[in-house]
Parts: sequence; C-alpha cells; structure tokens
Amino acid sequence: MSAEIVLFLAVAVYGAAGLAVGAAFVTVAAGRVLSAPGASQPVSFTFGARLLILPGAAALWPYVLLRWRRALRQP
Amino acid sequence: MSVGFRAVQWNRDKIVYDAILIAATAIYIAGFAAIVWTANPPKNLPDAIDVWIRAFGTAAFLMLTVILCIGPLARLDRRFLTLLYNRRHFGVLTFFVACVHGWLMIEWFAAQDALHTLMPELMTLADYGKFIGFPFKALGIAALLILFLMAATSHDFWLAFLTPPVWKALHMLLYAAYAMVVMHVALGIMQYDRSPLIPAMLIVCFGAVAALHLLAIWRERHGDRGPTLTADGWIAVGPPASIPDKAARIVVAPGGERIAVFRDGSEIGALTNLCAHQNGPLGEGRIIDGCVTCPWHGYQYRLADGCAPAPFTERLATYRVRLSGGTLEVDPHPLPPGTPASIHLPNGAPLA
Ligand code: FES
Repeated sequence: MSAEIVLFLAVAVYGAAGLAVGAAFVTVAAGRVLSAPGASQPVSFTFGARLLILPGAAALWPYVLLRWRRALRQP
Repeated sequence: MSVGFRAVQWNRDKIVYDAILIAATAIYIAGFAAIVWTANPPKNLPDAIDVWIRAFGTAAFLMLTVILCIGPLARLDRRFLTLLYNRRHFGVLTFFVACVHGWLMIEWFAAQDALHTLMPELMTLADYGKFIGFPFKALGIAALLILFLMAATSHDFWLAFLTPPVWKALHMLLYAAYAMVVMHVALGIMQYDRSPLIPAMLIVCFGAVAALHLLAIWRERHGDRGPTLTADGWIAVGPPASIPDKAARIVVAPGGERIAVFRDGSEIGALTNLCAHQNGPLGEGRIIDGCVTCPWHGYQYRLADGCAPAPFTERLATYRVRLSGGTLEVDPHPLPPGTPASIHLPNGAPLA
C-alpha cells in the first residue's frame, strides 16, 4: 500500500469514528458531562447548540470519549 | 451564563456586526476578482479558477491579519473594543473563506486532469528541505486544519468543557496558523507570481500585526503608573464624580492586578477586572439593566456582590471600597468571590 493510501485511510477511519462518537455524545452525553457531580438536571442544550458542537466533538473524539467515561464513573 | 447552551446568543449588535462582516468580505472578494479579471482576462478555465483562488486566499489572509490586530488595537484604544466583541464569528467566517480557497485549489487541479499529482506533490518528503520548491500547499492545509479546530471549538460549550486555560491555549494556535499562512503565501508567490502587489500586502500585514503587538506590550509595561496608596495601604481612586455613571475606572493594585471600580448612580463597587468567562476586561464594559456587563460577550454580574444574576452561577472577587474626605479608596486585597462589598454614597455627595 502506498503512503498516500495509508494516510487517506487513517484520516477516513478517524473521521468516521469521530462522527459516530460525536453524534452519540451530542445526543445523549454533552449535558451530563458538564453538570456538577450529583446535579439532578443535566445542563440543557438546544438542537442548534448540539449541531454546532458536533464538528468539535468529532475532531476531538478520543478526548471526548475519555471525559464521557469519567462522567459515567462519577456517582 | 452556564445553565443552558443555545446555538448563538444573538442580539442586535451581533447581527449588525455579522452583517457588516459578511458584506465587507463579499465586496472584497467580488472586487478583487473583478479587477484582476478586467486587467488580465483569463484565457481558460484553470486561469479563471485561479482568479478566485487568489480572491478567496487574499481575503482569508487579510481577515486573519485583522483578527490578530483587533486584540492589541483594543488594548491601545477602547474604541476598537466593538471589534473585539464577537471576534469569534469573524474567525469562523475566515475559516469558511479559507475552505473555499482550498476547495478551489482542488477544482484547479481537477480542471487540468491533474488531481492525481496533488498527493505526490504533498508527500515528496525531499521537497520539504528545499526553499524554492517547498510544498507550500502543505502549510496552507496545516493552517486550515488549525482554523477548523478553532472554529469547531468556538462555541461556549467548549470553553466550559475544555476549561478556560486549555481553550485559551488551543486558540493561541492562531498565531501558529498565521505564521504558516505567511509562509504559504510567501513561498507560493515566489514559485508562481512576479507581481509586487502580494509581497507588499504580505509585508504590510505582517508588519502591522507585529508592530501593534509590540506597541501594546510596551504601552502596558510603561502605561501602568504605580497607584497612589493611603497610609493604611488602600488605593486612592479619586472623587466619585471622576467615575462616569454606569461605567468604571480601572486601577492597578501594587501586585499588578487590575481592579474595576464601577459607579451606578450613587452606588460604588469594585470588582476584579477579569471576566469569569474568558478574562475579558470588565472595567471597559458598562452597567446595563443594573448589571456590570462584560464588553466581550455580555456576561453580567451584580455590582453589589460580583455574582451573575440567577440562574447563572459565575462569581467574581470583589474589593472593599470607602469614601474618605471626598476621595474613593479601594482595598487592594480581594474578597472571596461573591462577597457583598459595594457602598452607597451619602446623599449630597457631588456626582457631576
Ligand atoms: S470574556 Fe466573554 S463575556 Fe466576558
């Protein structure tokens, strides 16, 4: 495989994983991750806000995943 | 201002700002293309695309330059603060303009059936050691990636999620992106273009960014005269009337922290000059609807105790104030965030 194809595949896989993680994050987890521990209500997001957050969540998905997991572990 | 997130907190000022921004960008791009087109009519499709590549490319470069100049300009003269407000929208628009520039470049290759040469051009590692012949497009792509990251994380959510120091560090990458763009333009022109116009633009823009930053730093070092202290170490601010109503005067504590002393009619209160949102200069804001309002993105705090009005939860450090012999004085030691500390001037204190 040439270096170009490897690069292309790496970018494509990272991007696809990012879209999947990002979409799941903005739909179910964004509010939870930001609320104070023990808060009864997650922080609220409008649909537009979720959409605007998606590209960043997709780009930074490994870190997003890490924070998501940390939030799930919190009581 | 952190209880819920919306896409954009629109207000009239932001709409006007964005409208002017978009109109100015469109006029520049159309004007540039029209002038080049008339002076040098393109002979074929790649030439025509090239005109647009330059129009969008120079627009993105000029926009980045302006964005970087706004910070020091606002520090040098408060009239530029209006430009600082909403600078994030400016950044996002710059990213889109740069994207079109990149997309046009791909079209340019496609129009010549040369798309397959693009990747090898970028991946020939030996060329990265050359000066003339350097794959300057790679610099443009790297800068575009940074702009994407900044645009994608420009929403307030990211500030809260990444924490302000990380967010700020991430957004300082703009300087790296600018350096890459400068090299991208410089190396690109050296390979293709002989017109003196673009090198001149490059030198003027880069010079302006560097000079304004140096000037702002110099001003800050030399402009902050030491405060006048009373015998017990409080800072003398001046008579109450020296503070414009519904605005502030900024004083500098001996340690260098800036304190914003606000007046709302006969109420005087002192808060840290750093906004809890992104360290915006609160003392350059005004009192709107009874609250100290940050000039950058409009976060609000009560003058009495530095707390954001419910349901928001931000709190600022406050400072004790007193009136002594007709002069306002501020204790330079901050109180814990949210401590009530404002005073009401006695009836009859001269305010005009
Ligand atoms: S810095 Fe953003 S509102 Fe003050």
